[in-house]
Amino acid sequence: MMIIDKLAYSSKLRYKNPMLKTVFATGMLLICVAAHMLAVSAVVLVFMAALTIRFSTVSFSHYTKLMGIPFGFLILSTIAIVLNISDTPAGFFSAAVGGKYLVADGTSLLEGARLVMTALASVSCLYFLTLTTPVIDILAVLRSLRCPKIIVELMLLIYRYIFIVLDMASAIKTSQNCRLGNKDFMTELRSMGQMLTVLLIRSMNRSSCLFDAMESRCYNGELQVLEEHRPAKTGETILVIGSLSVMLAITVSLKLLGGVL
Amino acid sequence: MKDIILSLEAVHFIYEDGTEALKGIDLQVRRGERLAIMGANGSGKSTLFLTLNGIRKPTSGRVLFNGAPVDYSRKGLLELRKKVGIVFQDPDNQLFSASVMQEISFGAMNLGMPEDEVRARVERVMEELDITSFKEKPTHFLSGGQKKRVSIADILVMDPEIIILDEPAAALDPKHARIIDRIIDELGRRGITVILSTHDVDRALIWADRVVLLDDGTVIGDGTPDEIFNDEEALTRTNLEKPAVLKIFETLCEAGVLKRDLPVPHTTGELERYIREVNK
Repeated sequence: MMIIDKLAYSSKLRYKNPMLKTVFATGMLLICVAAHMLAVSAVVLVFMAALTIRFSTVSFSHYTKLMGIPFGFLILSTIAIVLNISDTPAGFFSAAVGGKYLVADGTSLLEGARLVMTALASVSCLYFLTLTTPVIDILAVLRSLRCPKIIVELMLLIYRYIFIVLDMASAIKTSQNCRLGNKDFMTELRSMGQMLTVLLIRSMNRSSCLFDAMESRCYNGELQVLEEHRPAKTGETILVIGSLSVMLAITVSLKLLGGVL
Repeated sequence: MKDIILSLEAVHFIYEDGTEALKGIDLQVRRGERLAIMGANGSGKSTLFLTLNGIRKPTSGRVLFNGAPVDYSRKGLLELRKKVGIVFQDPDNQLFSASVMQEISFGAMNLGMPEDEVRARVERVMEELDITSFKEKPTHFLSGGQKKRVSIADILVMDPEIIILDEPAAALDPKHARIIDRIIDELGRRGITVILSTHDVDRALIWADRVVLLDDGTVIGDGTPDEIFNDEEALTRTNLEKPAVLKIFETLCEAGVLKRDLPVPHTTGELERYIREVNK
């Protein structure tokens, strides 16, 4: 969370128009989900990964590590789709379980691969957005898309205070560990409980202090703030529309050719 | 005699849990003055500040702004808070946005100004407080001194008549504390009335026009720094030490090195000059 945030601020695309970046990432995402084809997903994955590595400070190995986070979940859920239950052995893989067989055949394997690839490609689109766009800019996009104010305001406050709560938590944890609060498992559990209690109380205190501070600045129930303008350059807009169209063209032609992948 | 901008008449404040934080405060703030409020932790400084801009309404007694009692309606309070700004002690309790510019713009936007005007003001204040160099950083990556500057900019952008600073130098290293001191000096030069709370007697002696000592919710001393810092009894009650410059000056007078009729020095520089001139 902290790392992704840091990376977003140091990205070379940070000051580009956030709406353009959002349109680009979600456009690619939609194409690859709608196509649901192995080839299209692979192209999107490679393209987005290359862009992200090129324009952010993430290295290739770091990027693969980031990709590894959703990969574990993906594999687990795909196993359930690839494997079927059958009365007789079938396909190229069968395992007897009780009186039945767990089987996998070509079709189910292909479907599994397609799912994994589509999911990874979608994640790469979202990583592109989160690794190049600070949260504040994403909030600005949500605002201009007429997302309900209450949601945007909550996101703004939660985002700001995540860091403060994390700081408080790590300070409390350090001070507990200094006094052997982690000497064995039971003590550690107890320390954790006490930490959570203290965090809750302090957070309540902070929220009332924050409210006083906002009231002092004539808060009227709405967080009105100035938006930063980062106008999109024509060239960038053309690039985004161009790459989305090319991607769409590839997808449509592959569909028309009736590729099984 | 400067005119009175803000005054408190027998102000009491009792919290919901029964704690009596203010026990009959009478205080007058003059326009354009530099007022230091000193007192031990828990003496009621922070509560006092919150009553000055109407966040806390006195349980009894009155607060007058420009001679008129504060109107505690929504509209009246907005008017008051426009003129009386508070810079809170912990910037993390004040800065709510991760974007420096959004954070500073909040107060000005609430005043209902057009966006262009807000933008111009925000830019100007960022320039004045040297914030421009780190304005693109998210607030959670700022240092303590930078956060403090942003929290002062938060208030300055609203162009208030009075700025209250709650222990502005707390938790800052000496370098950043000096930067904040210079900013506060500049506020005073612009004619803004500055009220601040501090535990730093040496700083108060140099900076303040007037010092008010607070103890257990009551005012136990109110006068020029010279008067207050020679009142041993009041200083003891508020757990304050006499400023080092005054102590040394006193000792040198007693030892016959310096003459008692010299004007009382406020800075170490002045005292050093006296000592250097002794043998001339």
